[in-house]
Amino acid sequence: MQNQNKLILEVQNLETVYHGVMRVLRGMSLKVPEGGVVALLGPNGAGKTTALRSITGLLDIHEGKITKGKINFFGEDISKVSAHIRVWRGMGQVMEGRRIFPELTVSENLQSGAFGVGRKTMLDRMEAAYERFPRLKERKDQEAGYLSGGEQQMLALSRTLMSNPKLLVLDEPSLGLAPNIVSQVKELIREIHKEGVSILLVEQNAAMAMELADYVYILETGKIVRDGTPEELREDEDIQEFYLGIGGEKRTSYREVKHYRRRKRWLS
Amino acid sequence: MINFLELTTSGLALGSIYALIALGFVVIYRGSQIFNFAQGEFLTWGAFGMIALLDAGLPWELALLGTMLCTGLLGSVVERVALRPLIGRPVFVTIIVTIFIGSILHALAMVVWGSDPKGMPTPWEAMKALKIGEVSIWWNSLAAVIAGAVALGAFFIMIRYTRLGVAMRATASDQETALALGIPVGRIFGTTWFLAGAYAALAGVLLSMFPRNADMHLSFVALRAFPAVIVGGLESIGGTVVAGLLLGVLEVWAQGYVNPALGEFGQNFHTVFPYIVMIGFLIVRPYGLFGSQDVERV
Repeated sequence: MQNQNKLILEVQNLETVYHGVMRVLRGMSLKVPEGGVVALLGPNGAGKTTALRSITGLLDIHEGKITKGKINFFGEDISKVSAHIRVWRGMGQVMEGRRIFPELTVSENLQSGAFGVGRKTMLDRMEAAYERFPRLKERKDQEAGYLSGGEQQMLALSRTLMSNPKLLVLDEPSLGLAPNIVSQVKELIREIHKEGVSILLVEQNAAMAMELADYVYILETGKIVRDGTPEELREDEDIQEFYLGIGGEKRTSYREVKHYRRRKRWLS
Repeated sequence: MINFLELTTSGLALGSIYALIALGFVVIYRGSQIFNFAQGEFLTWGAFGMIALLDAGLPWELALLGTMLCTGLLGSVVERVALRPLIGRPVFVTIIVTIFIGSILHALAMVVWGSDPKGMPTPWEAMKALKIGEVSIWWNSLAAVIAGAVALGAFFIMIRYTRLGVAMRATASDQETALALGIPVGRIFGTTWFLAGAYAALAGVLLSMFPRNADMHLSFVALRAFPAVIVGGLESIGGTVVAGLLLGVLEVWAQGYVNPALGEFGQNFHTVFPYIVMIGFLIVRPYGLFGSQDVERV
């Protein structure tokens, strides 16, 4: 396990239920150290988005509930704190699919990320966002719905940064973007990290996540089944086969590829 | 011609009032997808609150601001107590709750103020009229048009240029994302109800000035503003204002020209006329004059 002294986020034995019956997380735990980049990987339906919703406080509006466990943010249990207050305490998130406000202009989108921030600070941060992405400045009075996918991702990120988060929670930032933009996003995450922001990254794109992260958790059917540094996990045959797509054995013909041929070791 | 101009100005006055009421429906609907059937009671409470404050000795202008403030607060209390716990429930649940709250407010108003009509005092003479050539325009109509323009203008500046306005539009666009960005969505809902209440109070006061009175039937006027909401396109604030003015003018024209032509049958034809327009719109253009068109990247 990781041994950093200060944790910005610590999830302990989290269990969640949707609509009172559907259990999604079954005792998930993870830690994000201050200044760390932690990735949460897993297949579709493993509960990654649910985990993020529990962390950011958006579970209840999806009729979900935390039935067990704790979420400590800066050492304080926040599992009962409402979502907007978590943002004010320094937790920023970029939701899956970017979710910009299409009929608001670019600058209004940025403003919406700075509720409760003083006017001058907001303008400074807006200027910083424009400096980072001159494209946004060019289009600041245009409706954001007309931006390209990559530009929308930049806008979503900048909008979240307007609240000056200490922990940035990213849900699938590479989803649906062209490869060159994905690498741009990757650079950007690195840059934000260098500025001192801790990052929790959820990705299906395991290769990208492994490159960025300094610690990786693998979530399957609601539980953490493996965790370790990217180096450790890269050595693992199962991880190679099921997440990185570089088969353990040599394959000559795809007809022989049967994904159920070998059981993952952790599914005993 | 003189008749036409007089009808048009009083139509614009009625239309401004409809626009104020319809705006209340629309801000709440955009914010939280709740259709507030208790809106009409805010008219009654606003009008009688005004009379109560005047009786307490406040000057007219202060009493107007006071009743707008109080009715607005009443709106936010209703939202906080009755509707906030229902977030995420089906639409019909919230509709029934607002109808229920409407009945309670109606009954309470009757208990407090009784069912007798009361005249609404005005700082000017009730029947004072402005004469332009042959055309005479009631001061009360002018006051309605001016107050409506000021209030609606202030609203547009607020929603367009202030940060609260941006937060309100963000919430209307996508509640979950707004919440995820740190916008206190519950408080925004409260604000929309406050605005709806305050504007309804203003409309109630304007409406109960001569030639009408303040009475318990004021609340039905909110239902007559309902076609303005539909014709305007339910989600469009600008559309609502245009539709409110349009329907106000059409209604008074109908009263002036169509009612007499229909003889006995036409006595109250003008009151249903807005609904006829609404039904026409629902058939031909169900999304209204300025219905929301989603912006999407091609």
